[in-house]
Amino acid sequence: MTGARHPAAHHAWSLIDTGTGSVGVAERAALGTTARVAVWPPHQLARVLTVVDTELGLLDQQASRFRPDSEISAACRDAGGARGGGSLIVSEGLAEAIAVALAAARWTGGLVDPTVGNALAALGYDRDFAVIRRDGPVLTRHAHVPGWQSVRLDGRRLRLAAGLQLDLGATAKGLGADRAAREAATVVPAGGVLVSLGGDIAVAGEAPCGGWPVLVADEPEPASPPPARGGRPGRFPPESPAQVIRLVTGALATSSIMCRQWQRGGRTLHHIVDPRTGRPAAGPWRTVSVAAANCAEANAASTAAIIAGDQAPAWLAAQGLPARLVGRDGSVRLAGGWPAADDGLLEPPGTCRMPAGPGPVRGSGALAGPARVSGGRPAPGSGRLSAGRTPPGPRRSPGAGRWR
Amino acid sequence: MDHDDAERPGWVRLPGYDDDTGYQRDAGHPRGAGSPRAGGVRRLRRASNWTAAALIAGVAAATGYFAHHAPPAAPAVSTVSGTAPGASTAAPGKPTLSNPVTTSSGSGVVVTTGPNGVKTYHYRGDN
Repeated sequence: MTGARHPAAHHAWSLIDTGTGSVGVAERAALGTTARVAVWPPHQLARVLTVVDTELGLLDQQASRFRPDSEISAACRDAGGARGGGSLIVSEGLAEAIAVALAAARWTGGLVDPTVGNALAALGYDRDFAVIRRDGPVLTRHAHVPGWQSVRLDGRRLRLAAGLQLDLGATAKGLGADRAAREAATVVPAGGVLVSLGGDIAVAGEAPCGGWPVLVADEPEPASPPPARGGRPGRFPPESPAQVIRLVTGALATSSIMCRQWQRGGRTLHHIVDPRTGRPAAGPWRTVSVAAANCAEANAASTAAIIAGDQAPAWLAAQGLPARLVGRDGSVRLAGGWPAADDGLLEPPGTCRMPAGPGPVRGSGALAGPARVSGGRPAPGSGRLSAGRTPPGPRRSPGAGRWR
Repeated sequence: MDHDDAERPGWVRLPGYDDDTGYQRDAGHPRGAGSPRAGGVRRLRRASNWTAAALIAGVAAATGYFAHHAPPAAPAVSTVSGTAPGASTAAPGKPTLSNPVTTSSGSGVVVTTGPNGVKTYHYRGDN
């Protein structure tokens, strides 16, 4: 999530030409990445953008760890300050965002953990990615990840351990896409909308015939293509595996270790931290795309898969989540019914797999209220992985066992 | 009700009243509640009640059946072989898109497909 100082934070929407006039497409910088909106009929675009603006603004104000004036920043400061150890009442929006993050943590056995904020900062990702130092001295220590169990949330009442820095990066953008798509669909009663936040996509309303075509792309090798400079974009390298899929309902999210990279002491680091080590995930996958009933769930699953490594394909399949995993060597592996053919239909499950998470994206209606989630309390639900922070052990059945 | 079968002035017996073996007058019984005629009327009334009940039950069953099996008011999803389920034709003016409208990739990278199919990517953090 972007800060107010982000150079592109106040950019207006730009219309995007996709070669057809039957949909309206626009894009702008938001939340430290790019927001893109597609809507049909196209004359509804302006109304939809207004709704999306509102949702993105709310989410940024609630959950950006890079904005000192955000609600989550204030909550973390209070946790470490005079009121440390006490509890505070947060807005319904932030409570929902934290509840979803905790639900994701529980569901993934702790692989997606919102308490990695200090670890990320220690690695150098302590400000908006656009302005972090791309190089620096060698790291001498890694921050301890206190664990999601140290976060207590009961309705809107939040209690954080002193010094804890929350980072909702693994779920918040997905949640934002869900919220924006859902709300936008209410102003397009006879049409459909797609909202993408940095590649985390939610659709609502009626899809175009055959679904929304989406390019699922892997990031190029950092050294091979020239990144965009001076407004001149680099070419997408032909060796990068990419595929067009069609999405009718639900959501799609992609997590990758390739795009947000920086250097410390000559080592390349990235933003997906393994909570078990406090270091960037070192698994075999460089990019994972997952389809789910809602984008927060897809976002959590794709991030968990990057961290889970070898166990990820089996776990995703056990969850019934279509997934596309790109190995560090560029090889592609499909799981959970991801279409093999180009232009194939991607069919996310109609129901949520993440217990206590937000509901599926639909054409209308609001998100369910914030779940009553306490970090340390056992939660009901099936399909979750338990105790991801345990030492390595024998591999268990995905969906019911532990991550190694 | 107790006197439906009473002999009243002006009433005429139906033909064959005395011929029906099932309704044979029992010489030992005076005409009245226990008479064969009274039994016949009761049987007839009982049969009518059962007929009405059967009709009501039949109508209810039929109503229930059609409530659950009625065709939808709007046509269901119409799919063409090879196209997506859910690609309904219900909404007028529903577009068919050939080019991707967006890209799902790692956060911070946006890939666009130009008119000639040229894919370009943008590092949002770099511009």
